[in-house]
Amino acid sequence: MKNQKNTKNEEITRKDAIKIIGNYSKYAALTALGTYFILNPQKAQAASLGDPGTGF
Amino acid sequence: MKETTVLYKYFDEKTISWFKDKNEYVVLENTAAAILKKINSGIPVNEIAKTLSKELEIPIEKSVDFILELEKKFFTEKQSENIEMANDFRNIKRPKNFEFIKYYKINNIIFKISFLSDKELSFVHPKFAHLVMEEVTEFQNEFEVFINHNYIFLYVNNTFIGSWSPENLHYFQGKFSMELIQKIHQKEEKEWMGVFHASAVSDGKKAILFLGDSGNGKSTSLAILQANGFTCLADDFVPVDVKKQKVYSFPAAISIKKSSLETLLPMYPELESSAEYHFKRLHKIVRYLKPNNDDFFANLPCNDLIFIKYQKDATLVCNRISKIDAFQQLVPDSWLSPITENAQIFLDWFENLNCYQLVYSNNAEMIETVSKIFKNDL
Repeated sequence: MKNQKNTKNEEITRKDAIKIIGNYSKYAALTALGTYFILNPQKAQAASLGDPGTGF
Repeated sequence: MKETTVLYKYFDEKTISWFKDKNEYVVLENTAAAILKKINSGIPVNEIAKTLSKELEIPIEKSVDFILELEKKFFTEKQSENIEMANDFRNIKRPKNFEFIKYYKINNIIFKISFLSDKELSFVHPKFAHLVMEEVTEFQNEFEVFINHNYIFLYVNNTFIGSWSPENLHYFQGKFSMELIQKIHQKEEKEWMGVFHASAVSDGKKAILFLGDSGNGKSTSLAILQANGFTCLADDFVPVDVKKQKVYSFPAAISIKKSSLETLLPMYPELESSAEYHFKRLHKIVRYLKPNNDDFFANLPCNDLIFIKYQKDATLVCNRISKIDAFQQLVPDSWLSPITENAQIFLDWFENLNCYQLVYSNNAEMIETVSKIFKNDL
């Protein structure tokens, strides 16, 4: 006998699915809006590391 | 809330915001930047949230949370300041006798630089050895370099400039270079827009900057171009001024890694016998190549940045890259003036640059491509 899982209770209508996805995508848009990169320049002028010499 | 100084620049469908209090650049989505602008100008959060909720069709509380989060991040969170131990050595006695005194001639300006011992000498001299003058009757500037209590000190014309611990040696070298360009080009620190960790090459009319991680071939590419009719303006330390945003000449020698010798020896037989410096901790062996620039007052406009990479057996690829990508690579590696007017000028300057990525293995093809970029012919 096939071990068939009854998924009937979890089924949703196409309309409901679109509604749920719609909500998620709205929040995803919000998350995307909050994405940023922070860039800090060097605090002082610097030479390349070890160019020439490395510590003393 | 007191308004914080923030600059905004739009490009490539993003906004770059600059925050004065931290001298920090942030790449944001345009909507987020517009919200920050509103917060900073004192518009109530509820009002901003209403507009956002309408725009994104989301519940008002979600918008409020989002806005408060932005406000916290950019306006109320205090920066964890890196408080350095104050090392006030201003009263320290300057040595009376220096083991090495060198005179360097840069155009018509003579610098007398005194080094306490061969150690201090080794941190500076190799890059400037090609400028040494033996017989000198007068000089215009005097630098003193000495180590005391495990700190390296710099005095310029009898003024204390700073002291650095061994791990900050590259900042000592950076400051030394900064003092040098201030004297050569008669510009104070506030008159510089930034200093870029790049190589600058010129065709006599304008400059192109080569950028990229250490080992990608910036200096080697510069040396190849210098042997093929172009001029070296600066290697490793590239200053750009505020007034006209020109790239200024820096007289240091080009550092050539051992791995590039094979490529460069046919062009520069003198490298065969030049002194070799071993930086053991970095597994780096370098020789220094004299720049072919004979006018260290030179300054030229720059419209192009090239992220360059030498890659064995690669077919040449040269593409324009997005400004945002270029910006993200450029900023963390540069010193950029923290003065508001200068930061605005930097953003305006950057907006008008062409940014390329160039991967090559064939020198002739690289030269041809760079020539085309110089001629706006790519």
